Amino acid sequence: MVKAERKPLAEIKEAIQNYTRILNVGCGGCVSVCLVGGQKEVQLLNTQMNVMLQNDGRAGRLEGFTVERQCNRLHLVDLDERVARFDCLISMACGAGVQLLAERYPDKPVFPAVNTAAIGIDQEIGVYEERCRACGDCVLGYTGGICPVTRCAKGLFNGPCGGTNRGKCEVSNEIPCAWQEIYERLNAQNRLDDIKKLRQPMEWQNTVRRLIVQEPYRQRYTGPKA
Amino acid sequence: MYAIVRGPLVWIAILVFILGTAFQVYRFYALTRRKAALALAPVSPPPPGPAPAEPVPVVEEVPLSLVQRLRLSILGTSPVTIAVTSVFHVCLVLLPLFVLGHNVLMDMAWEISLVSLPEALADALTVVVMAGGAFFLGRRLFYPRVRAITSAYDYVVLALATTPFVTGFLAFHHLFDYDTVIFLHMLSGELMLMAIPFTKLVHMPFFIINRFVLVHENSFGRGGHRVWR
Amino acid sequence: MNDANTAAVDCEAIRAILDQRKDQMQLALKVCAHCSLCAESCFLFQVHDGDPRYMPSHKFINSLGKLYRRKGRVSREELEEIKEIVWRRCVLCTRCYCPLGVDIPEMIALTRSICRSQNVFFQYEDLPQV
Repeated sequence: MVKAERKPLAEIKEAIQNYTRILNVGCGGCVSVCLVGGQKEVQLLNTQMNVMLQNDGRAGRLEGFTVERQCNRLHLVDLDERVARFDCLISMACGAGVQLLAERYPDKPVFPAVNTAAIGIDQEIGVYEERCRACGDCVLGYTGGICPVTRCAKGLFNGPCGGTNRGKCEVSNEIPCAWQEIYERLNAQNRLDDIKKLRQPMEWQNTVRRLIVQEPYRQRYTGPKA
Repeated sequence: MYAIVRGPLVWIAILVFILGTAFQVYRFYALTRRKAALALAPVSPPPPGPAPAEPVPVVEEVPLSLVQRLRLSILGTSPVTIAVTSVFHVCLVLLPLFVLGHNVLMDMAWEISLVSLPEALADALTVVVMAGGAFFLGRRLFYPRVRAITSAYDYVVLALATTPFVTGFLAFHHLFDYDTVIFLHMLSGELMLMAIPFTKLVHMPFFIINRFVLVHENSFGRGGHRVWR
Repeated sequence: MNDANTAAVDCEAIRAILDQRKDQMQLALKVCAHCSLCAESCFLFQVHDGDPRYMPSHKFINSLGKLYRRKGRVSREELEEIKEIVWRRCVLCTRCYCPLGVDIPEMIALTRSICRSQNVFFQYEDLPQV
């Protein structure tokens, strides 16, 4: 599912500084599953922001409401009447949810409270690993189920390249070569013909695979930091 | 009948409680497995260019007071129930172990005994347990959300858990016919002990197991180490 | 005992799925103290003004609990009711709080797979269109 990380409070605070009646809208979908934008996180963010506003001597106040899924207008119906009482909205959903909210209430400013980071898998409670970058041209069928976009440092559609070194990537000795893994899996499945099929290369700008460890869970895992 | 309740049934009840609980705990361990160590794939180094700033810790930016933290937890949602249930359960489990009368019996049987609470205090704590039981009965009867998931079974188990305390109280104050009351006290206490591993009272051991041993969002400490599958 | 019209349901298949996960399910149903402390952790419960039918325990007792008590012998109509519970009243956001640690989402997910085995599942068209 979609994975996200919360924005720093300072950024959220700056966004809402000109408003006093603020509705924080949570989402019961993906962001709830990855512990960043469900009801519980809405309550936490509201408590933090309200303390901040109070400390600053500001009159602003946040209230919360969590909908089933912000990416579906059917689930926004419950919000319609409620929204009227507020000056602006905070959305704890992914970028899709934020946009649908902004579209449905065009006279209300909508501010995201999370950064949508990845489509990933649940490794642990609070730990998520990117597996898909929604490139729109899925090649997993001929790469043995190993994604060259998220797992090859160069995002190559044809590989391995000359930088493969005993199963590792030239970028770092720590990183396994995705194309070596693809080769091994296809070989084991007797499907090496697939690796010979040439694909059009794509230009990839951002090929850093993202790992998301939610802040409250970081201390639980001694491993890599997000 | 009186002789059975007074004699062998005590031992049977204690044995059923210990063995039954041990069986449930054993079964839990047999059905779960130790969680495999978290194996994360190495993350690619950042692209060349200026190093990105250290991520700002988002949660601790605004230090929340203990009260504010607790208000975000179950204590904030149901403060009264949590307060009552905590006191009720602590008294329910510990009180029987430190009542003078029980210690005298234990001393007679094994020549060992635990410290005894002053009788007046034990009596007061018994009233606390009964008051807690009344609170739970009231919730079951009048609180719509509890009523919605209540069946006769819940009343029976509540009665099982509180009758030993009610009869203990009556016996201590010699209210009603003492022989009948003390008979009911022993019988209900034995039934309750035997019921723990086999009714919803099994939440006694599983409260600890679920909170400390299983891995989930609300586990205590470092988050448990066993998973079901 | 149970006069549900089970003709259109493959009760044996349901039974088989139940048996596979019997121990965890049995334990979950048994440990649940019917305390209702899970209520507020469900945002749908809050959104629906505290309707007890949205309480996580209520949902799992009346879906999986029912299938378990009946040993899979339910009618199509009852399966449709269960479908309402596990798809319309729960979105599997997996965030319910249980003081006793019962994994309610796991139980709802299991109920969903039982429903699917009987070709009962949520369809987008079931929603009122706006």
